[in-house]
Amino acid sequence: MSDLIRKNAWVAGLVVLLAALLAITKIIQPSFGASGLESVARAALPFAFATAGMAVVVIVGGIDLSVASMMAVCAVTAAVLMEKISGVPAVMIVLALGLAMGLINGALIVVTRVPDIVVTLAMLFVWEGAALLILETPGGSTSEWLQTGIRGSLVPGLPNALVIIAAAVALVWVPLRRSRLGISIYATGSNERAAFRSGVDVGRTRILAYGVCGMFCAFGGLSLASLTGIGEPVPGPYLMASVAAVVLGGVVLGGGRGGLLGPIIAVFILRIVRTILTLLAVDPNVTTIIEGTIMVCVVMLGTALTLRGARK
Amino acid sequence: MKKQIAGAAALAIAATLTPAAFAADYTIGVSNTVQGNGWREEMICAMRAQALVEADVSNLIVAHRNTDSAGQLEDINNLIEAGVDAIVLNPSNPDALNSALNAAMEKGIVVVAVDAGVTADGAYILSNNQEEYAYLGAKWLFEQLGGKGDVVYMRGIAGVSADTDRDNGFKRALAEHPDIKVVHEVFTGWQQDQGKQQMFDFLATGIPFDGVWTSGIDNVIVDAFVESGAPLVPIVGADNAGFVQYLTEVDGLTGAAVTNPGSVGGAGVALAVDILNGSPPAEKTVLVNPVLWENASDEGRATIKAAQNPNLDPEWPVSVSVPGWTDYTMDQIIACKGPGDS
Repeated sequence: MSDLIRKNAWVAGLVVLLAALLAITKIIQPSFGASGLESVARAALPFAFATAGMAVVVIVGGIDLSVASMMAVCAVTAAVLMEKISGVPAVMIVLALGLAMGLINGALIVVTRVPDIVVTLAMLFVWEGAALLILETPGGSTSEWLQTGIRGSLVPGLPNALVIIAAAVALVWVPLRRSRLGISIYATGSNERAAFRSGVDVGRTRILAYGVCGMFCAFGGLSLASLTGIGEPVPGPYLMASVAAVVLGGVVLGGGRGGLLGPIIAVFILRIVRTILTLLAVDPNVTTIIEGTIMVCVVMLGTALTLRGARK
Repeated sequence: MKKQIAGAAALAIAATLTPAAFAADYTIGVSNTVQGNGWREEMICAMRAQALVEADVSNLIVAHRNTDSAGQLEDINNLIEAGVDAIVLNPSNPDALNSALNAAMEKGIVVVAVDAGVTADGAYILSNNQEEYAYLGAKWLFEQLGGKGDVVYMRGIAGVSADTDRDNGFKRALAEHPDIKVVHEVFTGWQQDQGKQQMFDFLATGIPFDGVWTSGIDNVIVDAFVESGAPLVPIVGADNAGFVQYLTEVDGLTGAAVTNPGSVGGAGVALAVDILNGSPPAEKTVLVNPVLWENASDEGRATIKAAQNPNLDPEWPVSVSVPGWTDYTMDQIIACKGPGDS
């Protein structure tokens, strides 16, 4: 048991921080309860998927600056498709589209040997343009069952949005992490040359990791379309937020270390901080400063504690 | 008996205190998704200033950032959690916010959308009357020309609702002045450089005309006349700082600015308070009428002079208040402080 806690010290710390923030919210606003948690979970949904995708490529040793643009492509595609065909096939097409976009990103990086940051920066603009070509102005529509399914709590106290995040991550990431590919992703991220010499096909591993990222972005785009009921071609603020949550979640930029649970808890921390600042009626221009400061402090504190633990 | 006397005394005290203590204690939430744009910043400051002067408003929570519709949903849900009595928002999209707005109205929260509409049933909409905006300026221009002459008609973006509404207003004024002819009609796309080039091109054709009506692309049109050395004709534009300044400074320029104030935000707060106090408007949609400032008369020039203020942000529309709606002073909107702000 203590071994388990020590191995997951960072995640445990984040859970404590989240619990503390929820307690603070409850103190500030005594009426904050199940419905408040539900709306925080809904707000966290697109951020959580962007963060999950970003975490996978950071673990493999890369970075994907096009996550928000891929989400926009998926959101407008979903909204346009669902005007013509029913929801389930549209969802399948959008997931496949996300996977394909991710694979294209990864293949370009591996084949051209241009750094990840440059390729995905270029693809940020490519996917952004593609989203505008699909839908010039916000519009389209989303299936009713998606819009209602994402809201509320089927199990009291357990928001549907939270269940959706948990299910999607469990379906994609949990089996993957235990598979050969998962081990290869961590190996490639921690030391590409060593992984290569141990017989890991690093090129294929990286392409597939970007594919997984693309698929999480498709989930993110679908959640955007379901939340708003329309598709918006202009990317939302998900790129920087996802990098922030990945770092806060204990994934090392550079690769090889961390998981998906930490970053997703970090997403909830960042959302609840915004809720608290809104409840306190803090000046909106100061809000972002506070958000950034909290992030730096937590990461600094975490790094200091980890280093001290390592020295012992 | 003693108790009764004490009770009566307490009642008497309460009765004398009642009028003063009766001011309601409303918290109003604001949601906006474009930061750093002069029109929107004026809107936010108007909301703060109006909330400050409304006796019944004790707190204003502002969620003001650059975000998408999902982010605005998050902000509105947070405002609901904060227990606001009314939400005044500039919607990012007419359809995307309905889930949160319906949730708000189910809790009895008054929803007022300013500047653009929302499709949620039960929400109030307050915006500038764009048809009246065009009618007012066009009518002034046609009367200035003595009801006879040729005009250039420079519109905004085809298909955008504000442009369509303005076109209806322009056509209404045109119908009232049968001897006025439109010799040239273009869409500027509300782009400064494009509008200026279009005016250069038309001046180069040498076709004579007597006046210009432009849909908010105004100071660059004056520039085009001055730079190409053409004699100035009467020009109607909007209350953008640059154009209003030209109306007082450019020799030989006769013109008028029609207001399209960002201060509708303040009117939105005033409307929300009216609804909370039990006097809702007759219609769900409330249109704010524009005002015309012209420099052809002494009275008009004095109005323009009074509207200008060196402390005013040059990016803001010059009209900082909405007559009949907002109650704050110019200093209060420039200070941009709401209730609770020190």
